[in-house]
Amino acid sequence: MSPDLAVVVAAVAVPFVAAALTPLFFRVLGEETGFAGTVVALASFSLLATQYGSEGTVALEWIPALNVALRFYVDGWALLFALLASGIGALIFTYSPAYMHGQSGLVRYYAALFAFMGSIIGVALAADLIAIFLFWELTSLASFVLIGFYTADDSSQYAARMAMFITVGGGLFLLVGFLMLSVVAADILGSGAAFDLAAMLEESDAMATALRDRGLFLPVLGLLAIGAGTKSAQVPLHFWLPNAMAAPTPVSAFLHSATMVKVGVYFIGRVRPMLVGPEWLFLFATLGLTTMTVCAIMAVAATDIKELLAYSTASHLGLMVAGFGFTSVYGAETGVFHLLNHALFKAALFLVAGIIAHEAGTREINKLGGLRHDLPVTAAITTVAALSMAGIPPFNGFYSKELLFEAAVEASHYHDIGLLGWLYPAVAVFGSIFTVLYSLRFLSLFVGDRPEALDYVQSPPVTMLVSPAVLALLAAVVSVDPQLAVDVIVQSGLEATAVDPGEMHVGLPTSYSTPVGMSAVTIAVGLAAFPFYDRLHDGIRGVVGPTPPIRPNWWYDVIIEGLTDEGRWFAETLHNGLLRTYATWVLSGICAFALAGFVAAGAIDSIGVGTEVTVAMGLVLLVAVVGALAVVLSDTHVAGVLTLSILGFMIAIFYILGSAPDLALTQLVVETLVLVLFLLVIEEIPAIERIAVGTTVRDVALSLVVGVTAFITVLVSSGARPAGSTDIARYFAAQAVPEGGGTNIVNVTLVDFRGFDTLGELAVVALAAISILTLIVMRGRGDERSAARSDDDAIETRDTDTTTGGTDE
Amino acid sequence: MTTVIMRTTARAIVPIVLVVSISLFIEGHNLPGGGFIGGVLTTTAFAIIYMGFGLDFLERGILGRDVDPGKEPSRDRVVVAYRRLFAYGFAIAVVSGLAPLAFGQPFLTQTFVMLEGVPIYDHLEVASAIAFDFGVYCVVVGGLLTILSVVGAE
Repeated sequence: MSPDLAVVVAAVAVPFVAAALTPLFFRVLGEETGFAGTVVALASFSLLATQYGSEGTVALEWIPALNVALRFYVDGWALLFALLASGIGALIFTYSPAYMHGQSGLVRYYAALFAFMGSIIGVALAADLIAIFLFWELTSLASFVLIGFYTADDSSQYAARMAMFITVGGGLFLLVGFLMLSVVAADILGSGAAFDLAAMLEESDAMATALRDRGLFLPVLGLLAIGAGTKSAQVPLHFWLPNAMAAPTPVSAFLHSATMVKVGVYFIGRVRPMLVGPEWLFLFATLGLTTMTVCAIMAVAATDIKELLAYSTASHLGLMVAGFGFTSVYGAETGVFHLLNHALFKAALFLVAGIIAHEAGTREINKLGGLRHDLPVTAAITTVAALSMAGIPPFNGFYSKELLFEAAVEASHYHDIGLLGWLYPAVAVFGSIFTVLYSLRFLSLFVGDRPEALDYVQSPPVTMLVSPAVLALLAAVVSVDPQLAVDVIVQSGLEATAVDPGEMHVGLPTSYSTPVGMSAVTIAVGLAAFPFYDRLHDGIRGVVGPTPPIRPNWWYDVIIEGLTDEGRWFAETLHNGLLRTYATWVLSGICAFALAGFVAAGAIDSIGVGTEVTVAMGLVLLVAVVGALAVVLSDTHVAGVLTLSILGFMIAIFYILGSAPDLALTQLVVETLVLVLFLLVIEEIPAIERIAVGTTVRDVALSLVVGVTAFITVLVSSGARPAGSTDIARYFAAQAVPEGGGTNIVNVTLVDFRGFDTLGELAVVALAAISILTLIVMRGRGDERSAARSDDDAIETRDTDTTTGGTDE
Repeated sequence: MTTVIMRTTARAIVPIVLVVSISLFIEGHNLPGGGFIGGVLTTTAFAIIYMGFGLDFLERGILGRDVDPGKEPSRDRVVVAYRRLFAYGFAIAVVSGLAPLAFGQPFLTQTFVMLEGVPIYDHLEVASAIAFDFGVYCVVVGGLLTILSVVGAE
């Protein structure tokens, strides 16, 4: 079955339309807008569900000239991700109204959530590199808006900027990788498929060979890895994710655990069949396992429940990346299955964290405990989700972790990787021990005794319980019958991401094998070490706290501060508020680039100076030169302005002599207007002051350079013209009357032949007027204090104006 | 600059400048001139008025409106009118460009008709480009006058 274009486009478009209509929803529904969101998300979900089982590409023309189209590729992997996004989206929208009760800025919140959901479905389905990139960056943008939701909070703004900087920056690496891919694809598959990812994946082997032949394989792999690694919070660029927890909790559950951060993983899975190989294994298995271990250790060091979950998310993303990194079929099974499992249990846990924060009023791990008495349903949900996160059998996280162990063990059978064949399984087990530890710690919030300091804990509203309950229920279903999930969707996802997919089987192990032993060791050591959790927690903090350079966040701060300082210094040097400084830099820059360009193009050599100047022209130009000298030497502004217009009018006369009446007329009226304007403001200009010799020398040198550049430019550009009149000139001259109906060729060219250019120039004039207006109107608007001050000023000006007005009369 | 000489001269030359500017605009299709040149010259006429009579003269002296001295110049009704002028001018230019689309022609296609037997002129050419050029004229006049009056008021 091939997918239906209209349905696929509608599934992507519906959330965007809803984003545009959010103000309307909000006016009608107020805080209940979230429930409208549930409907929208379910609409997208059911549209996508109708495509279940279909596979193929559908396309809408977009920029045919560049072979860019809005292509959508539907297969099991795309559907799994898109259904997850819209399904969890629906739950998040249901959860939001109660959580966000009484907050301001809800229109922005919901609009961004809608736009995010549209873009994430877009990323999942898009098969065109440009479309993928656009949707990819749109998700970052939505994430920026949502992390920075609390605009008055500095840490939230800091986190939003950091997330933007890292993820959008990573997206740019991705774009470069895409462009390299498209260059190769255009050669191999024809220019029509230059950006068609689906076509590239169909010809995976040919693409991989071509990439290797051109030496682009490693660059492309690296660039895509940076793009995916930043988005999916891989070490060492994972630090934005814990900071992103400044966002409201539903956002954390949706964007920063279940969907957006998985885009990188999703994409790695998507290109896996094309780029898989030994390099792929080294890069992604190492990256993933490092991330998994480092972030699991950091999660144990966390003091805040959302921080714990954030590090844990990064750690699990590492697990998925590592899974896809292993080239065996088990690797792909790990990646696909854990993407589903993690979305179910982690979104539920975040929503639980939201309930705890909302009802208990604190997120400090140390201040919480014994919550099962107050939040019994939540405790049940947490039990399922946390044990699943820990990978305890028979919960669903166990199955995918078991697959990872299997893939890690198998790695050495597929490639000759020496010691790494032992190291990979060892690290996987080591990291997983910490996963067990922090999962149990999260669960222990609900057991034991209530701390005395904990205030009365309300029970959450039903709408906040439904969403995590649904997720936990799904997790429980997968736990009981994992083969069901495999048959429904995971198998089809596997077929898109594995090189040689077979029938996937999961279930509780019935006999001993190495992975089972690894799981047993993980759980046993985890349980045995749990009593020493506090000591471990303090130990890790003791190492990380005093030595900032091992934290990438510290490096980020140092780099950003450095860049800010450099930028400030640069701005102060170049833009110090003095017009003459601006002119110096801009003009010398232009001259340097223009001259360098002429030299590089070898245009300087071929300059010939023609001397077809009549006596009259020579005389006019001489007067112009004298006028120019007089401008420089004049002592007063009036003399300066008048001599300047002598120069201008001489140029107008020169145009007349050169038989260009229109040009001359324009020059005349503009010159007149400028003269009149000067006279209007001449009294306001401060008197000419003597300037230092050094400045004078600089100005003289600059003027000479500018003059020489202009001179050379004219010679080069007129020298490059063929002798006589060009085709276009002859065409204009011949067609002005029959086509344009006017004998003034210049005017016919302006309004008819090249009307579009003129329209552009009109826009420039209009923009100039608007910007000057804006500058002057906005000048008074600063913070409130300066506004108050300018009010005082206004009153004073009014007084003085009345007096001057009086004297005038 | 608001001297008697200036004012007297302005009274004499402003109408002439305005008439010349309009004729330059209208004749532009066949003789030197056009929307841009006409627009700049019209602006010059206004600039001379401002120079001779002060910035509030148009509001107070000609339109007979009261002016709040000292309030933001951008809120003056004349300035608002200038702003509208360049907005409308731009709209005229764009709409005149869109019109050919209705006849299945590309954006900004221009045409002309010769009217024969018109009184006085005998034969008169009407080019559709005049609408576009009028847009140019309006944008130039509106834009420059906005800048002039707002900056001049500083």
